[in-house]
Amino acid sequence: MTSLAALIRRAAPVLACIGLLVVWQVASLVLKNDSFPTAVEAIWAIPDILGDKEALLNILASLRRMALGFCVAVLISIPLGLLMGRSRSVAAFFNPLLMVIYPVPKAALMPIIMLWLGVGDITKTLVIFLGVSLPVIYHSFEGAKAVEEKMLWSGAAMGLSPSQRLVRIVLPAALPEILTGCRTGLVLALITMITSEMIARQSGAGNILFNALDMGQYDTVFAMIIIVGAMGIFFDAMFERVRARLVRWSEPQFDLPLSFS
Amino acid sequence: MMSRLLSANVLLGIAPIALIIALWQGLVSFGFAPAVLLPPPGFVFGRLLQQLATWTFQQEIAATLIRLFAGFAIAVVLGVSIGIAAAASPAINAVVRPIVRVLAPLPKVALYPALLLLLGFGHGSKVTLVAADALFPILLSTYYGASTVEQKLIWSAMAAGTPRTQILFRVVLPAAMPSILTGCRIGLVISCIVVFLAEMITSTDGLGHALVTAARTFQAVDMFVPLITISLLGLILNALLGALRSYLLRGFPEA
Repeated sequence: MTSLAALIRRAAPVLACIGLLVVWQVASLVLKNDSFPTAVEAIWAIPDILGDKEALLNILASLRRMALGFCVAVLISIPLGLLMGRSRSVAAFFNPLLMVIYPVPKAALMPIIMLWLGVGDITKTLVIFLGVSLPVIYHSFEGAKAVEEKMLWSGAAMGLSPSQRLVRIVLPAALPEILTGCRTGLVLALITMITSEMIARQSGAGNILFNALDMGQYDTVFAMIIIVGAMGIFFDAMFERVRARLVRWSEPQFDLPLSFS
Repeated sequence: MMSRLLSANVLLGIAPIALIIALWQGLVSFGFAPAVLLPPPGFVFGRLLQQLATWTFQQEIAATLIRLFAGFAIAVVLGVSIGIAAAASPAINAVVRPIVRVLAPLPKVALYPALLLLLGFGHGSKVTLVAADALFPILLSTYYGASTVEQKLIWSAMAAGTPRTQILFRVVLPAAMPSILTGCRIGLVISCIVVFLAEMITSTDGLGHALVTAARTFQAVDMFVPLITISLLGLILNALLGALRSYLLRGFPEA
């Protein structure tokens, strides 16, 4: 009996996907709008995009930029966030700056950075890096702040140096929170990737999406939306698996990412 | 003692911002960057003040703010009501949870072309995009806050004779308030970002549009002005929400 319940719980997201597609299909049949293709038509257009060599190369280039921006951002942000969480003066130094940067859309920096660095990969990767680093810094900061003082005292009493304490006590203790930040950052990387390519229409998945919109190929538009959405869901599910392995000892506070964009 | 500590922290916090502006000024005045690409900071801030006084720029800000507030308000109403409903009823939870699981990691900006096609190029598509993006953090933190309300509180209220319908407004909503407000804060920052992006992609007015027009004509000064404006708007709105938070949570320990 429990296995049946577990089966239903496992299948629930798939059922939700199917349900949403059915709602889409019905809505488009009811509306009969030329610019709103049915779900079936959109799904049929997916193989055309993925079969096109140039489009596939574009999407892969997008993913490469995204992976690079994400990795560099994580490598820099986690140590910074941990330091901010453990030292009051470091936190006081960086906090106002981060607060000023936070509400600025990172993709909006594209036009300015484009003036300096051109329209190439560097600009787009830099923007993705900026977008990912803020939530990761923020969550690492919160995680490091919440580490129990007693553990640090015991570590100090056992003769660990401050840097050893940071790596061996603070990092593992803050890991669940850090991973929440990384998960948010991952979704953000995807969003920034798409928006940066919408603004600098040169190559990539966002470029395909908006060019199709301009040319009125509406089934391609909706097929690309499905592809991008599937990427988001896939990355999120993969990351959740990794997270569950790394921090098996801790229950996630939210089982969904909280803050994106 | 406390105030001195505070002012030391404030000074320390202003330092990096001052450093960046100094570096910016340095880059320009020592000729590393031509003023066409990187206008000096004094010039940019002067331009900002000058623009803030003009009627057209005020209208751009107004257009952005209207979209921001409309989308954010829709997200708050939907997020709080769905979140509380999901926490209160297992049946609703079973339906909402998988849908949220699918929709939350979806990059909502990718839906923007679809919204444009369905709702047109006016306010509707932008407001919907803002609402869709701000909805999930608010919904999730409301759900989390409402589902961790202590059962004892509800029992005591029932024992004291509170009718069942009143428990929601008298007990659950106030107890979940800190968590809801945290969600609103995240949602607000997201709204600022998304409204700007939507205006950059297609629009005829608003701050994002001001940036794009400046970029098309290579007016570097005018590109910085909307960016600084949206940053200031974000800070002001955040401070207002913080004030609202300390007013609403005045009875709470450590709010």
